[in-house]
Amino acid sequence: MQQTSRYRETIDACRFCWMCRHICPIGNATGQERNTARARALVLSFVARNCEKLENIVDNIYECALCGACTRECMTGWDPVSVTTEARLNAALDGILPDSILQLIDRIEKTGNVFGETQIDSALVSIIDTLPKMADTLFLIGRNAMFRAPKTAREAIHLLKKTGIQFTATVAEPDSGYALYFLTGATEETRTVMQKAAEFFNRYKTIIVFDPLDASLLNRQYREWGIPVTAKIITATSFLADLVKQGILQPKKGNGIYTFQDPAALARDLEETEAARTVLESCGTLREMFLNRRDTMIAGHLVMAEYLPDVILAAAANRINSAMTVEAKTVVTACPSDYVAIKAVCPNSIQVKSLEKVVLECLQD
Amino acid sequence: MNDFLFGMILSELEDAVGCDHCSTREIDKLTHSIDYFWLSRLWADRGRHMPEADVVVSPASAKETSTILKIANYYKIPVTTWGGGGGTQGGALPVCGGIVLDTKRMNQIYDVNTESMYIECGTGAVYKHIEWAANEKGYATMHYPSSLTCSTVGGFLAHRGIGVVSTKYGKIDDMVLQMEVVLPNGDIIETSPAPKHAAGPDLNQIFIGSEGTLGIMTKAQMRIYAQPEERRFRGFLFRNLSDAFKAGRELLQKIKPSVMRLYDEAETGSIIKKIVGVEKKGAFMNIAIEGISEIVAVEERILLDTFGKYGAEDLGSEYGEKWWKEKITFFYPGHALDFPRMFGTMDTIAPFDKIEKIYWAMKNAIESQFPMARFIAHFSHWYEWGAMVYDRFIVENPPEDPMEALRLHNQIWNCGVRAALAHGGVVNDHHGVGIKLGRLMKEQYGPAMQVFEGLKKQLDPNGILNPFKLGM
Repeated sequence: MQQTSRYRETIDACRFCWMCRHICPIGNATGQERNTARARALVLSFVARNCEKLENIVDNIYECALCGACTRECMTGWDPVSVTTEARLNAALDGILPDSILQLIDRIEKTGNVFGETQIDSALVSIIDTLPKMADTLFLIGRNAMFRAPKTAREAIHLLKKTGIQFTATVAEPDSGYALYFLTGATEETRTVMQKAAEFFNRYKTIIVFDPLDASLLNRQYREWGIPVTAKIITATSFLADLVKQGILQPKKGNGIYTFQDPAALARDLEETEAARTVLESCGTLREMFLNRRDTMIAGHLVMAEYLPDVILAAAANRINSAMTVEAKTVVTACPSDYVAIKAVCPNSIQVKSLEKVVLECLQD
Repeated sequence: MNDFLFGMILSELEDAVGCDHCSTREIDKLTHSIDYFWLSRLWADRGRHMPEADVVVSPASAKETSTILKIANYYKIPVTTWGGGGGTQGGALPVCGGIVLDTKRMNQIYDVNTESMYIECGTGAVYKHIEWAANEKGYATMHYPSSLTCSTVGGFLAHRGIGVVSTKYGKIDDMVLQMEVVLPNGDIIETSPAPKHAAGPDLNQIFIGSEGTLGIMTKAQMRIYAQPEERRFRGFLFRNLSDAFKAGRELLQKIKPSVMRLYDEAETGSIIKKIVGVEKKGAFMNIAIEGISEIVAVEERILLDTFGKYGAEDLGSEYGEKWWKEKITFFYPGHALDFPRMFGTMDTIAPFDKIEKIYWAMKNAIESQFPMARFIAHFSHWYEWGAMVYDRFIVENPPEDPMEALRLHNQIWNCGVRAALAHGGVVNDHHGVGIKLGRLMKEQYGPAMQVFEGLKKQLDPNGILNPFKLGM
């Protein structure tokens, strides 16, 4: 098992430290001691000392959403997420991945998506068919939205069409590699998927990335691993905010009371916290949930939900509780993962909408 | 225990809490076998396994807790309660195996009662989460220990914890209105509906500090407070500790600051210099006064007048504010004491006429008998009648062999605590006793120990709850 020196230093720093317990969306959802950065570091420190086998505890390193809340919280700059990704990489290289994870990788290999889906939502296909086949700008739907939240992708495309902007989207878009990266880290297989995707992306001048998880990957891991993306990457949220600021979209401010579920990848990895607020404040009243912006907690994770569905639903329920505290009528999401999970647990008294859906409704008003 | 009987008991426990919340997974047993106690960490650091539970159960309610205790009582299986696992005394370690009962699924916040100013919650709630719940309504719990974000309500209650604004708002035992407790026989009881009464002894105070040896607290009403209009800091530098004690004692006869922290010369010149930036020599003291602005202004004048009389140098607000901002940073990896060093916090408390003598007695005892140990201290919780000393020993290069290190560790602890006891101190101020200091309880209490033992014998005749903790 290969270990970087930073990995060793981090597990030895974190193994007796619980300071980020309160912020972990998974630990808060399960109430299990093992779902802390400390627990993972502790058992990995035993592995590093050859006193425990990685295969005995490998399940635990998959009980983490890599959301970065612990890293954000650490006042002395340790990064438990990097430890988890490195441990996953080691598990992959050592051939000791849990069966549940192997099944997902198998699905990716067979179908190109972690969900094992072979059919795309027909309504999504229909709206994509109305778009030009070629344009300088690509709207990248992403695997999560395409197979688990196609409605949100349709809403986004529908809204963009209303602006008259020339863009395209395609059901043949490549896998960004997010799921494989999440499951196995920087393996050669992940790199190959990313390189193939980059070749496709570089046919365009601009890519509007719908899923913040994909956007984060493109902005961070692709660069870190030297996979060049020449296209300009912009998140759908930022793109939308710019359209509102420029007056291209002019939503009519109504009586809606919204709260925004900051996607962790958007808020922490990409440091985009105000774009969605710009949009929502043009549509209605924004009430902030208690943990917002870079302090957000994830509500959902579509890859993780494939093997720990109950945990993700519990995490979503915690966020709904926060939304209910501020008496918002609508929880607005900008991430397919959050949308699906919140939708699954949301009581009838609260609506869940994509950011694009809110704008669409205000345009219709 | 044979595999068959273990399997039978396990299936009963699974029936009580559900299979998902009853674990024999190695990961769960391992992570519940090491807390913040230096010796358990040492064992882990040396790659050795601490005693592990046979099974980890996570009940979601008092009712499930009751069922678990009935099972454990019938089979006479040890039950060790685990909250956040952040204790320094080994109180949550399952030294006899058996069941670890993790309380964190009992984390519901039932009521934020802004009329009677309390939050009712499960004791498995992380304290920071009830702080958030209070903050959302514009209030605060005013319990701010360094472990705020990682420890549970029950954990703080179990060892009588304290936070940095204790001088104004009190210790955890001052912050409880009512509790629900599950007794070792499985009975679920409630303490008195109000904490101040003349209906006999205070049941709350029997269970608070009992470290899971007499019952398992499952629900509590914790006080909340109005957020202060203003919180002002003022740093001071005293020539020596004696002057600072006189000044602090006099100040407390006039006003109640929230934060009062006095650092000895050694700690001023090390940790305070490093994190807060105070370069001058002397004894640094940080004071915060808070509340309604008009009153704060008056109290600040009283503070300056009082401390001026004792020759304190006024360092202004900068260092105090920096300290407040960094108050938890002290405990993060990189700043907190950690391996390879051996260290321990031997906090004790006494009236003003004894506390300074205790400080010197402990310092002299440790430094003379263990020349390899460094001694630093601060005084961080003050009352009108006395103060506590948070004194620490640090050994830079402890023995590599864990048993040899254990021996040295316990010898230093014995020496320090006995010096405190000999001069009117107590075994511990706010970290508890656990397995670490249990042997010293009888030395403090003498025949009074039979009161605790009598309670234990009556409530837990089979001795299932947290054996060998608290010296019982």
